[in-house]
Amino acid sequence: MTNTLYAGWRECPEYTASVQNECYFNKTYTHIWTSYRVQLRDTAYNITYDERCFTVENIVHPDPPVALNWTLLNVSRSGLNFDILVRWAPPPSADVQMGWMSLKYEVQYRPRNGTRWEKMDLESGTQLSIYGLNTDKEYEVRVRCTMSAFENFGEFSDSVFVQVAQIPSKESMFPVMLLLVFGGVGLLLLLLLIILSQQERLLVILLPPVPAPKIKGIDPELLKKGKMEQLDSLLRSQNVCKPHSAPKDPWVEFIQLDMEDVVEKSETSDTQHLLGLTHLGSSHALSLKGDDDSGRASCYDPDMGAEPESIPPVREVHSPVVARSSFSTHIHSTTTTPEAAGMHIPVQMQPSSQSWINMDFYAQVSDVTPGGGVLLSPGQQSSTPSKNTDMKKKKEDREEDVAEEEEEEGKLQLLVVDSDGGYSSETVARQQAADAASSRVAEQAYHTLSEPPQPHPQAWQGGYLAPDRQPHMPYFSPEAPLASVLPPVSDYTVVQEVGGSHHLLLHSAAPQASVCPPHPLKLPPGEPALPLGYLTPEFLENLSP
Amino acid sequence: MVRRSQNHKLTLAVAVLMCVFVSIDGVSLNDLLERVSQLSDKLHSLSTSLTNDLDSHFPPYGGRLMRPSMCHTASLQIPNDKDQALRLPENELLSLARSLLLAWSDPLAMLSSEANTLPHPERNAINSKTRQLQDQTNSLGAGLERLVHKMGTSSEVLSSLPFNSNDLGHDKISRLVNFHFLLSCFRRDSHKIDSFLKVLRCRTSKMQPDMC
Repeated sequence: MTNTLYAGWRECPEYTASVQNECYFNKTYTHIWTSYRVQLRDTAYNITYDERCFTVENIVHPDPPVALNWTLLNVSRSGLNFDILVRWAPPPSADVQMGWMSLKYEVQYRPRNGTRWEKMDLESGTQLSIYGLNTDKEYEVRVRCTMSAFENFGEFSDSVFVQVAQIPSKESMFPVMLLLVFGGVGLLLLLLLIILSQQERLLVILLPPVPAPKIKGIDPELLKKGKMEQLDSLLRSQNVCKPHSAPKDPWVEFIQLDMEDVVEKSETSDTQHLLGLTHLGSSHALSLKGDDDSGRASCYDPDMGAEPESIPPVREVHSPVVARSSFSTHIHSTTTTPEAAGMHIPVQMQPSSQSWINMDFYAQVSDVTPGGGVLLSPGQQSSTPSKNTDMKKKKEDREEDVAEEEEEEGKLQLLVVDSDGGYSSETVARQQAADAASSRVAEQAYHTLSEPPQPHPQAWQGGYLAPDRQPHMPYFSPEAPLASVLPPVSDYTVVQEVGGSHHLLLHSAAPQASVCPPHPLKLPPGEPALPLGYLTPEFLENLSP
Repeated sequence: MVRRSQNHKLTLAVAVLMCVFVSIDGVSLNDLLERVSQLSDKLHSLSTSLTNDLDSHFPPYGGRLMRPSMCHTASLQIPNDKDQALRLPENELLSLARSLLLAWSDPLAMLSSEANTLPHPERNAINSKTRQLQDQTNSLGAGLERLVHKMGTSSEVLSSLPFNSNDLGHDKISRLVNFHFLLSCFRRDSHKIDSFLKVLRCRTSKMQPDMC
């Protein structure tokens, strides 16, 4: 070791015993601001292995600061963050009081389980504030120092641990409560706004409007409020001039719509529906399930009076009264007036019609009375011969009663009346209505498909004619005039009218003239009138007021 | 003519007033000492930073670059350890500081002029810092002058520490080596100045314990 001033090498005064390869020069050997040169030599061979030059101030590493502590400055309002003030004291070995050494301190901190230390800027004083610590974490703080303007840091002091207990103060809850309240109010306002803006829609959803009655071609208002006489005349006039020009499809539609009613009242037969409609209010009769497109013209005779029987005539057109060819021939022999009308059963016309067509629409002719009356036995629901006998029995009782009186015992008589045309069908002679028949020009039997007030399957006790589904049989071909649909085999007869005594007046419709009688039927009061021809929506369209 | 005389009178009056103000000790001793101490601290920090810039591309060998000769201020008798330094009277501390500072005015001027053409990648930073160094040295010298007047110590004769070199050298290596050598000498001397002045400050302001 040499000193430039003395230019003399001195060997290491003390080799450390405990540590290998270490030489200790105590402070008597060194002076500040003096450059020294140290060499590692092999004296035996005069080999210098290493050499260092230094000055004391450049290799000074101060001792670590002492007395590190911290105090809480404040906690944030949310209770999530806090600030602390960290204090320490310079190392005792450093004579800072006399100003001999000026130290700079570096504070480091980290979360308890963290790996990276946060380094603060060099601090000249002996205290430092740390901001933004999390209350839910525990922190470790340490400090070290170095001589000012030198880069040799000493060892770190002992770490001190900082933690603040979380205090769920009321103040921290307050903003949350406030937020909840405001959020609730905001939601309510929004809901109110929505309701107000969508008022109409909501009303529609919650309180669906009652559909107005509507018949094609007729003003619904008129239906709602119009007088019966007006409606009578209106509908009647419509019926008159459109005999057989209704196409098939409207009938399909007609039937389909009709079916919806039937399906709903699944327990009742279709005919019961037809009959039962007489007991519905007039408005009901006209408002068939609120179907807007259904052209359910209810043509009824104004003579019927208050009792609304508008629907039944329409329905009755659907009455599945089909005469069997076999019967027809038989009846032909018995009846005086051969029936040549094709009985068009609108319902039965469609083999492909809806499945709902059941046998109800077909009245099976169970027997033919000697007087020419055809006894129609009930449909599927009740096909007991006993009923037929009942019908037979009641048949005599029937005069021209109102159809609705017969509730439990539906008597059916099929009266076949001769007409022009080639249809041959049943000719039903009305036994007891002979006198009545005489009074009428075109005496027709009335088959009242009166329905009991509570339609049920058993109520139908009328006979029904089984359908004869001959494909070439125009069950109902509205487009074609009757003349074209008058094949030799005619199992169907136009049901002209339905008499009050449950007689079905069959009328072989002539293709032209007689088809549209101005007043086709003189119905007994309270009886539904079945106009010749078929009421279709198209009829009504053309005759819309 | 009248106006000129009036102007002259005015400027004279202002000058007199200024002299009066200057003579009146507006700045307290403690403040002056504080300022001086801070200035010397800055000086020392700047010299450290400048040395680091130089060493960034030419790392010193063996801890410090092997210097060819001694610093030109090595002949000045300075205390070698803390005890000696603490025993020195205030005026000696002050005169030592002033002597050192004075010894470096010429070399710093030369360094500033040479820094422009120094073959070093950090030449710009070195150049600017060298100029700052020179300015701060001059201002510190001025401050120390005032301090002497303030303290009322007898103006002692400052040691003369001549600087004989005119330039750093002719070739790149010698220029760089000499520049580095001079700067390291200056850094050491700035540390001495800073230490002396801090001791002086702490000794004088014993009334305010928080300063030291």
